[in-house]
Amino acid sequence: MNDVAVKQPASAEPVLDAEGHFHIADAPIDLSPYLFEDWIALGLFWLLGLNVFYQFFTRYVLNDSAAWTEEIARYLLVAIVFVAISSATRRTRHIHVDFLYRLIPKPAGRAFSTAIDILRIAFFAVAVWLTYEMMGRMGYYMMTVIDLPVNIVYGFCLFGFAAATIRSVQVAIENWRQGFSLLERPEHAIEEIVTSSSVASPGTEAAR
Amino acid sequence: MTGTLLAAFLALMVTGIPVAIAMAGASLIYILVTQSTPPMAIVHRMISGVDSFPLLAVPFFIFAGNLMNTAGITNRIYNFALGLVGWMKGGLGHVNIIGSVIFSGLSGTAIADAAGLGTIEIKAMRDHGYSKEFAVGVTAASATLGPIIPPSLPFVIYGMVANTSIGALFLAGIIPGLVMTGLMMVTVAYYAHKNNWGGDIKLEWTRVGKAVLELSIVVGFPLAVWAAARLGADAVVATLVAIVLLFLADWIFKFEAVLPIMTPVLLIGGMVSGIFTPTEAAVAASIWALFLGLVWYRTLNFRMFTKVSMETIETTAVVLFIVAAASIFGWLLTATRVTDMVTTWVLSFTDKPWVFLLLVNLLLLFVGCFLEPTAAILIAVPVLMPAVTQLGIDPVHFGLVVVLNLMIGLLHPPMGIVLFVLARVANLSLERTTMAILPWLVPLLASLVLLTYVPEISLWLPRQFYK
Repeated sequence: MNDVAVKQPASAEPVLDAEGHFHIADAPIDLSPYLFEDWIALGLFWLLGLNVFYQFFTRYVLNDSAAWTEEIARYLLVAIVFVAISSATRRTRHIHVDFLYRLIPKPAGRAFSTAIDILRIAFFAVAVWLTYEMMGRMGYYMMTVIDLPVNIVYGFCLFGFAAATIRSVQVAIENWRQGFSLLERPEHAIEEIVTSSSVASPGTEAAR
Repeated sequence: MTGTLLAAFLALMVTGIPVAIAMAGASLIYILVTQSTPPMAIVHRMISGVDSFPLLAVPFFIFAGNLMNTAGITNRIYNFALGLVGWMKGGLGHVNIIGSVIFSGLSGTAIADAAGLGTIEIKAMRDHGYSKEFAVGVTAASATLGPIIPPSLPFVIYGMVANTSIGALFLAGIIPGLVMTGLMMVTVAYYAHKNNWGGDIKLEWTRVGKAVLELSIVVGFPLAVWAAARLGADAVVATLVAIVLLFLADWIFKFEAVLPIMTPVLLIGGMVSGIFTPTEAAVAASIWALFLGLVWYRTLNFRMFTKVSMETIETTAVVLFIVAAASIFGWLLTATRVTDMVTTWVLSFTDKPWVFLLLVNLLLLFVGCFLEPTAAILIAVPVLMPAVTQLGIDPVHFGLVVVLNLMIGLLHPPMGIVLFVLARVANLSLERTTMAILPWLVPLLASLVLLTYVPEISLWLPRQFYK
């Protein structure tokens, strides 16, 4: 679920050299898997970083924290989370339980996981509709400290749910084409955790 | 009717829909069936569940943890651990444990941590001729330490759900963490003695001395600030002076890992002394780790910074999506009195705290096999909390028991997720991985029993600070 801990041996050398020092390097950075919605979330996250840094600065250095920073920070967090829900959906990174699929026969697993793919699309689609309805209700309801409509925040949530709906349709189509989902192949899920966060390059294991 | 909600949730979760969707989806089904509230309440509750200032701690804790996990800092931490314990018999086993102590569970994903650090540790140990079984066993066992030793994300999540001081939880983890570290190092020493292993690096007293000195600086820092404050100095000024001296010393003596290891010390110290709220502490830790990576060590470039940000966003969204869904689900559970019924049922079963804790241990060990600890906390703790309160169990102590249980569950045969992950990392069959982990369950379960039934081990330290 997290591949920051992506580390690789600096070379095929041992992790621990003869002088008794560790040598690991970050894996080559590949930003190409990140798409549209990820970069929006990234922009919001950096804004949040600047915002809390400013708040930190005003509180501890100027001894007078700016009141608007707290409200903005909360709204940015909401926007980030709901936009990034779609990224995690695309990459099948949401926390789920897959032990059932180790116990039941393959055809049943296929049926269940297809049903799950459809239910996921349905959930996000309903969430889009409900958020849209709520935004209609909110109208021009304003934020507390800043003179902006709350619907800006809900707009990001609407975008996030809409993107999640589209992404879950794509995931469902992909699963349908390849004939299985990650749920049915827990070993693939584990393979992904390990390869995305590890030094285990094929060479090192075979070399033994 | 109340059964609908729970049944729908369990059915959805077991069939493998994301846990957050299982919660929100079950709530939606319930609301559609009963027509008790407009369905719009689902999204409204979910959004307002995330709209909270304390929750801002989550992304910044994760960010600081991810920054600590970059290679530049990881190498330093392992080199420090090597200097400290690498020369002992079974050296890399000890290094593995100390490494887990320092890394803690900040990055928010216990399973990925086990895979990431585990791969490095297992490879290093294999290179030095340790058996796969020993490498896997010690890696699995030490992975449970991270979230117990503060700072840790599971404690942050627990503190929010149980409405308990996160600072107190962090302090409560220190002594149990050290006890567990001790038990595990004794186990490594036992293996080393039995198999007649040597150390993994040459014993050089200068290096050992330097590592001990670095450790003393890290431990001495908060003590020095505390002493200065007792003598009448302003705590903030004393801290700032101490930090400037620290960087000066680092510049002159080129310490290996004093500054990275200082991250958790500043974070906990700031919270316990009341200078920082948890959110501010998390922001401060992020600023500290960023400063080290971008300015001081210059091991972090812009692309890496982008990547770390992306990973932080993803983990934050995954965790807070469950928080959001739990807020509507939990609200309905309370509104439909399910929580009350569970509490009454549990209390009709037993009114003795020790029986209750035993049952909770068994339940959570089971749940922990399948679920990331953060998700499990968000599901189980709100339901169990009323009973905990009524039985007079300290919520801080209970938090420790919950987190340790869930961590042990992750590696417990036959189903623990970490078991599968490490089997893959070490290229070992599931049967052999199980056999490799079994002996390590002895110190782990011993710690669990000890911490469950001797609350003083966890509560003594926080009581000194939080009355």
